[in-house]
Amino acid sequence: MKPLLAVATLVVAALAHAAPDAQALLAASDAVRNPDKPFGLTTTLIEYRNGKQTDTSTLAVYSSADANSGQFRSLLRFIAPKRDADKLMLKSGNDLWFYDPASKATIRISPQQRLLGQAANGDVVTVNLAGDYSASVAAEEDVGDGDKQQRHAYKLELKAKTPDVTYHRIEMWIDAANKQPVKARFYAESGSLLKTAYYRRYQQQLGVNRPTETVIIDGLDPNWVTVMRFADYAWRDVPESWLQRDFLPRFKPQ
Amino acid sequence: MKSLPLALLLAAAVAHADGGDADALALADATADAQTATRDWRFLTELAGASAQYRFNDQPAEARLSLDGRIDRRFHDDWRFVFADRLDLRSTGGHQSSVNTLKELYLGWQPDTDLLLDLGRINTRYGAGFGYNPTDFFKVGALRSVTSVNPASLRENRLGSVMLRGQKLWDGGSLTAMYSPKLADSPSDDAFNPDWGASNPQDRWLLAVSQSFGNDHGGNLNPQLLLYHDADTTQLGLNWSVLLGDATIVYAEWAGGRQPSVAGRAAGIDDTAFRNAASTGLTWTAAAKVTLTLEYQYDGAALDDAGWSALRSGPLPAYVRYRQLAAQRQDLTTRHAAMLYAQWQDALIRHVDLSGFVRQDLIDDSRLSWLEARWHGDDTDIALQWQYDAGETRSNYGGLPQRQIWQALLSHYF
Repeated sequence: MKPLLAVATLVVAALAHAAPDAQALLAASDAVRNPDKPFGLTTTLIEYRNGKQTDTSTLAVYSSADANSGQFRSLLRFIAPKRDADKLMLKSGNDLWFYDPASKATIRISPQQRLLGQAANGDVVTVNLAGDYSASVAAEEDVGDGDKQQRHAYKLELKAKTPDVTYHRIEMWIDAANKQPVKARFYAESGSLLKTAYYRRYQQQLGVNRPTETVIIDGLDPNWVTVMRFADYAWRDVPESWLQRDFLPRFKPQ
Repeated sequence: MKSLPLALLLAAAVAHADGGDADALALADATADAQTATRDWRFLTELAGASAQYRFNDQPAEARLSLDGRIDRRFHDDWRFVFADRLDLRSTGGHQSSVNTLKELYLGWQPDTDLLLDLGRINTRYGAGFGYNPTDFFKVGALRSVTSVNPASLRENRLGSVMLRGQKLWDGGSLTAMYSPKLADSPSDDAFNPDWGASNPQDRWLLAVSQSFGNDHGGNLNPQLLLYHDADTTQLGLNWSVLLGDATIVYAEWAGGRQPSVAGRAAGIDDTAFRNAASTGLTWTAAAKVTLTLEYQYDGAALDDAGWSALRSGPLPAYVRYRQLAAQRQDLTTRHAAMLYAQWQDALIRHVDLSGFVRQDLIDDSRLSWLEARWHGDDTDIALQWQYDAGETRSNYGGLPQRQIWQALLSHYF
């Protein structure tokens, strides 16, 4: 009986550890970060260089997922610093428009140009990775989370489906128990590490336990750290017709 | 055994990386909440000192204090009140002067998600171009007080037009219609005059329609068509910009219609004919935080080579009248021009930006060069600007009274 029991135990164990559907896992972790209906939140970014706080900016973000692609389109309003207050940005994939209420100019900007702006990281919050990446399970392992606790996680390997994404490869650790994103590493096409992100300060927001803070460590300059905090989560009506260039001068968020 | 030191080294490297992450997380732990509340107003003061080198008749340096405020408030959910005003106080050689610019004052009403109506003085601006905007039809007469030749400054410090404006939105597109009536005959130099004569010198209307065509991400093709009408002209306009790769924007702006030339207007001659104006270029951004814009500008209503040569060698009053009208209309002085604009963010030092542009007149080879170094603090900017106008006598830029201008600025945002 003993060998049979051993085999049975092994089979059960193997079943228990059968690789989960990586794409579904990624989609589940997307759903932890991003609400499934149009919503708004406030993002505050605090930047550090060599341990010293250098920049702080705050943006109000209105987001709505595209019915077809599942990808988020966002209207962003700058709140701080004061010199950038009330400037607006519309982001829909690589379609980026910037509006300055002082000059009344609505101009198209390139993804590269956006990276130069204040709060370049500010819009990475609402990205559904499952739409743009193919995931596979690379490992199941314990990993240190943003609160310095060990979590049992699946390490997913994400490969970009199209070349027009900023990050060509991502390693993502997702808590095996509750599908919460724990940590991610973002890589360029060349293979160099661009960013490391820790998802932490989980709180109940819009019905789900969501990370309310992301700590981003620059891959090329690890002394460049950005702390992103998310607050004021609320369901917002973001009509499809607002997500266009010619609405920007008229957008006045609540 | 040889692999042991390597393994130790790798382990040390991994430990170091994790240590770096731990340091970053410790910084985040120690970060206090710093969220800024939304405000309905903004206010800017700017203190400037300018010294110019004149071609004739040297003039004393100028000191300027500018107060610039904006209130933009929603009320009763569907209503919006906007007020924007700027006051420039100048002192030159013991002589004080002031110019107030009532930029905007209007009420907005959004009776429905997809319908917006506004009434009042509104600064409405169109144009994909950077340094010249043929489709910015309401730019004519809008400049009341010029503090810098930087295109960004010229856009910010101008009068809106009194108008009724409505906009209907649909998925991926919109139609905007505006009507701006004549309110007065001529502009006013009075310091605190709302200057209806400058902003509303004649009845005008404008229709703008845009529609995006394209992919799942909202469409890279998003042209905007305009139809403008005033007593002198009816014009069609087009604005189009496209993303190439992830760092280049190519844009084109065009306007065309039957209209008098600038020289015809200046001389009081009706020489109405179909004339085009265009501005096209590209903006490229490098990972090193450098952005370059190269633009070609064409104005079919401005003088060509022969006409410009004749005007330059003719009587001075006609030359001055033409130049004043072209400046007042924010048209090109001559038919062809080019512009190169460059900006380098965090240039060598963090929070210090270098920017500059060159405007080249392609008819008379005169050139305007402008450079700025700007330091950004939390709420304060300090900037130094330099402008040089080079060219032969009575050329586009050689004909400007100043040869060189230095300006230092201290701006504070409240």
